[in-house]
Amino acid sequence: MNGRKTLVEEGTQFKGSLTSDCPIEVKGRVEGDLTAPALTVSASGAVHGKVKVGEMKSQGELAGEFDADVVQLSGTVKDNTVIRARSLEVKLTPANGKMQVVFGECELEVGTEPLPKDLPRDKTPSLRPPPEAMPLAEPNGSTAVRPPS
Amino acid sequence: MPELTADVVLRKIKSGEKVERADLRGLAMPKAVLEGVSFRRCDLDGANFEGARLAKTNFKNASLREAFLAGADLREANLENADLEGANLQGATLVGANLNRANLEGANLQGADLGGARLTHAQLDSAKLGGANLVAAQLSHADLSDADLSTAKLDGADLTSAILTRANLEEASLVGARLRDAKLDGVNVKNANLTDVDAPGLQPGGDPSGRIKRYFGKGDVLRNAALEFDAGASVEIESLFEQCTIALGQGTELVVGKAGLLSGCQIHGAGKITIHGKFVERETPGIVGATQLLVSAGGSMIGAVEQPAESTRFAFEPGCYLRMKIQPKKEGPTERAGKAGSGRQR
Repeated sequence: MNGRKTLVEEGTQFKGSLTSDCPIEVKGRVEGDLTAPALTVSASGAVHGKVKVGEMKSQGELAGEFDADVVQLSGTVKDNTVIRARSLEVKLTPANGKMQVVFGECELEVGTEPLPKDLPRDKTPSLRPPPEAMPLAEPNGSTAVRPPS
Repeated sequence: MPELTADVVLRKIKSGEKVERADLRGLAMPKAVLEGVSFRRCDLDGANFEGARLAKTNFKNASLREAFLAGADLREANLENADLEGANLQGATLVGANLNRANLEGANLQGADLGGARLTHAQLDSAKLGGANLVAAQLSHADLSDADLSTAKLDGADLTSAILTRANLEEASLVGARLRDAKLDGVNVKNANLTDVDAPGLQPGGDPSGRIKRYFGKGDVLRNAALEFDAGASVEIESLFEQCTIALGQGTELVVGKAGLLSGCQIHGAGKITIHGKFVERETPGIVGATQLLVSAGGSMIGAVEQPAESTRFAFEPGCYLRMKIQPKKEGPTERAGKAGSGRQR
């Protein structure tokens, strides 16, 4: 990839489906589907939709359905969000400090190891995302995606 | 014998001469009026300043080991980096004094008035501070290990990162004191006033550690039990708990150890939960109202978490296993009635 990435700059709103073979960085707002080897959502960024990436680092706002191998999370996770990952990291912040992540109503499916025999599988809660998981995209004006110079 | 006698020192001071760096060991000047004089870097080991008026006097870097300063007026004196090891400052007035980095190891400060004094990085280990006034004193990074602070007043004091290992704070008042990152191993806070203290986990009680500890060891099995742990307790579970209900008080720490398994259990209350082992809920949500939930690498959490109104502080380490729902605080009957007809179903 030679350090190239797709950047959705601050102040930019993108709606629709975006597939990239280089990492995506979102400083603006994305509503729709994203597929890429890696996704970084900065503190000013928001991604609402269906995302499939290898690695995801987010400090911004997430809503929708996220599939990734490795996730590092801070920022905000909105209601009706599902995060599926092989590995999830959320760091602990001091008790009086800012929250690392503010979770809305959401589901986390992390780890692929089979459950030990002593864990009653039949007691596990439903992991199926609710049908309203995908937020509706609002019709809106400009859409712009540009790679960095 | 001191290099200068008391008379010579007084003459020098009156004539405006400096006495800095002088060898004044054993100098006897009780009840002397020496306000604003500079004894900077003087050797005053064993000197007697009992009841002397030493306000704004400069003792910076002076050596006052075993000096007798009982009842002395040292308000706003500069004792920065002074060596006062074993000195007697009983009943002395040190209001607003600068004692930053001073060595007061084993010093007697019983009943001394240290209100607003600066004692950052001061060495106060084994010091006797019983009944002392330390209101609004700055004691960050000070070493108070093994110090006696019984009945001392520490309201509003800054003890950030201070070392209070095995210190005796029995019946002390610490209203609004800041003890964040302070070392509190073995500290005695029996009958202490800890109102609004900023010290995670520090609670009054008979236990010298300040926390009530409960441990459930490996091999134990607990079924269908309802357990309640008081505010500030510390609970560690390495056992198998089945179908148990656990109530945590405000700030109670619950650690599910690596060997611990909570199967079909429910935990509720404003506690801090750490899962190194496994937690599997029976009724959803399995965890209600926790202020903090950490699932470490190797830990498993299967169930739902209902957050308190101010949200749960979550932490997940890579390698943890989660099948988890996170929910907002469930509305009470009153709130639900207000929203009747909204049509929302869970």
